[in-house]
Amino acid sequence: MSRILIVEDDERIRSSMALALEEEGYSVDGVGSGEEAVAKFGTEPYELVLIDLMLPGMDGFEACRTLRRQSTVPVIMVTARSDTHDVVAGLEAGADDYVTKPFVAKELAARIRALLRRSRLDDDGPDVLAFGDVEIEPDAGVVRRAGDEVHCTRTEFRLLCELANHPGKVLSREQLLERVWGYDYFGDGRLVDVHVRRLRTKVEPDPASPRFILTVRGMGYKLAV
Amino acid sequence: MDPTSSDGDRAAPDGAPVDGKNGGGPTARALRSRGTRRTRRTLLSGRLGLRARVTLTFAIGAFGLSALMAGITYFTARATFLNERQSAEQRQAFANAALVQNALRSPATQVTQLIESVDTLPGSRSVLRTGGQWYATSISVGQSAIPAGERVLVLSGTPASQLFTLGGSPQLVIGVPLPAVHAAYFEVFSLDELAGTLRALAFALAAAALVTTIAGAAVGRWAASRALRPLAGLTDAAVAIAGGELDTRVDGGDDADLEELAAAFNRMTANLQDRIEREARFTSDVSHELRSPLTTLTATVSVLESHREQLAPRARSALDLLDGDLRRFTRMVDDLLEISRFDAGSAELSLDEVDPGELVRQAVAASAPVDAGGTRGPVTFPVEVGSGVDGLRLRVDKRRFERVLANLMENASLYAGGVTRVVVDRQPPLVAYAPVPATDIRVVVEDHGPGIPPAERGHLFERFYRGGRAGQRASGQGTGLGLSLVAEHVRLHGGRVWSEDAAGGGTRFVVELPLQPTGDDGVDGGLDVEMRA
Repeated sequence: MSRILIVEDDERIRSSMALALEEEGYSVDGVGSGEEAVAKFGTEPYELVLIDLMLPGMDGFEACRTLRRQSTVPVIMVTARSDTHDVVAGLEAGADDYVTKPFVAKELAARIRALLRRSRLDDDGPDVLAFGDVEIEPDAGVVRRAGDEVHCTRTEFRLLCELANHPGKVLSREQLLERVWGYDYFGDGRLVDVHVRRLRTKVEPDPASPRFILTVRGMGYKLAV
Repeated sequence: MDPTSSDGDRAAPDGAPVDGKNGGGPTARALRSRGTRRTRRTLLSGRLGLRARVTLTFAIGAFGLSALMAGITYFTARATFLNERQSAEQRQAFANAALVQNALRSPATQVTQLIESVDTLPGSRSVLRTGGQWYATSISVGQSAIPAGERVLVLSGTPASQLFTLGGSPQLVIGVPLPAVHAAYFEVFSLDELAGTLRALAFALAAAALVTTIAGAAVGRWAASRALRPLAGLTDAAVAIAGGELDTRVDGGDDADLEELAAAFNRMTANLQDRIEREARFTSDVSHELRSPLTTLTATVSVLESHREQLAPRARSALDLLDGDLRRFTRMVDDLLEISRFDAGSAELSLDEVDPGELVRQAVAASAPVDAGGTRGPVTFPVEVGSGVDGLRLRVDKRRFERVLANLMENASLYAGGVTRVVVDRQPPLVAYAPVPATDIRVVVEDHGPGIPPAERGHLFERFYRGGRAGQRASGQGTGLGLSLVAEHVRLHGGRVWSEDAAGGGTRFVVELPLQPTGDDGVDGGLDVEMRA
């Protein structure tokens, strides 16, 4: 049974979310602040964290950044504001995905399942993918750049594998959403954009003028061959 | 009727189309409706415009002044000329009179010869009375030409001069009594030359006055235009504000008078902006605050749903009602939030380049009704993609487009028994013999419902408008904001939406979106410029 940590200051929302997710078969713990979340995450193994953006004290962005420094655990942001600003800032802070209140429990559960699914990579793929000085071992979940290991979140890793598996081919944001996140046509393209940007900071020599992960205007992204 | 080839629609579609080009947005609407209630303070009265009145005033002033100056000049010149002339003539007349008197002293003098010999200037004529007889040098000017008063006065022994007219021309007569020889000498001078000079002077002065008047008017017009130039700036600012650009301000420059007006104008605009933003923010805040309890409710209801089988039938019905209205409530909060973004002017397009036919097919599939199990049902009506759409690329905000289609489809299923077909084609239609580049994509959503009375069509896109449909079975299911959001989304793209009668009964909603949205600055849905927040 997967363990999920909910960080939400509204006790009623926390309880109802816990009820709904337990109904979907997860084991759920709830805490009311970012500080508690960081402390609790240090002591117990959670497989996924849901963080509300508006928290007293340490806010959701900061809590997410703090968790990111310690772990590649999937993080879903919970926000009352679907404005570009909050969503992008939450993804920038390291979240894998976001949901907007009020969310439907089944939808949230589906997203959680998608994020928890270990690897969607083809088993018959190559053992090692490489471009530039970057080496990827899909099965081991390891990325190396110039021999040093690069820490990627699972979503970033999957995104990188997806691009590296199709060198030179343009992948639209919809295709990437479907293959990396497991979403349908109307997923939020900003997920892809922000993750690509984060990935560039990890594997590109100069993230501001990328040489490998390229933007194809009006179409999507591709890995340069 | 083939909806893709009906050309007349652009010119006169039934029901006022909601147009992206001249709509002005809700802000402008709000400003208009507030403005018309109160009496407008009249800035300028009278039928003439300010500029015309200033011009007229300058012209009248210039005319008055120049006429006065001309009058003074004319009369002064006239008096001076006359005086000079009179004294010159007097000298001559007295000299001639003395000559005549000397001659008459000698009894041998022939009076007729004498009068002929008097040295007169051209244009002057002598008349002599002596020995009870009148003698004259000219036939036309004799005794009778001299005014009676002058004659009497001079004959009684007093020298006199008088101005008079003879045959329409001005004359001066000077009479000198010669008591020593019992005679009187008169000399009549024609003033024609002087009159001519004065006429020329008067003409010159009138011309000068006319020129001055015209120049005055021109100066007045220039000054008025110059003085009104800041007003043009104010007008531009007001137009911009009415168009929704609430952060427009005017600059009074360093002119003390204008500064005050500019400050007052800016204060007014700031207050207005503040108020509108406060209203929009309030709606947005309310929507956000409602989300917390809605989250709890939604999660709780989903728990109840998963224990549905254990509930009594009556409790199950109650749960269904709760679930249905919870969804509706959530939609309403979402819609209110969406509309508050339009009102606050913070709605932005996130554009992607897509294949229009594919976009519509996907959007229709994504909006198909959801069954109780949460899975989407099949699409039960045809989606026809015109051949002209092939190869076209549409730049569109996919999320907004999907909302447009979903809302139109929901509207049809609530009030008209569902959509019967959806048609996509280019605009203007593809014509083989006269190919014209496509500018728009036209999406038609048709139903076979009861139709919409023409009188109601103009109101369809208003918020919470239910009109005559209020009593129908399905009323109360929608949020009341669906079609107004359709209009707002379409307007944001610079497109148009309207409704008209469908062939064979029912209604068709027509959405036209430009292939390149107006105001498209080339920002590409976050692919190129990723941080747009």
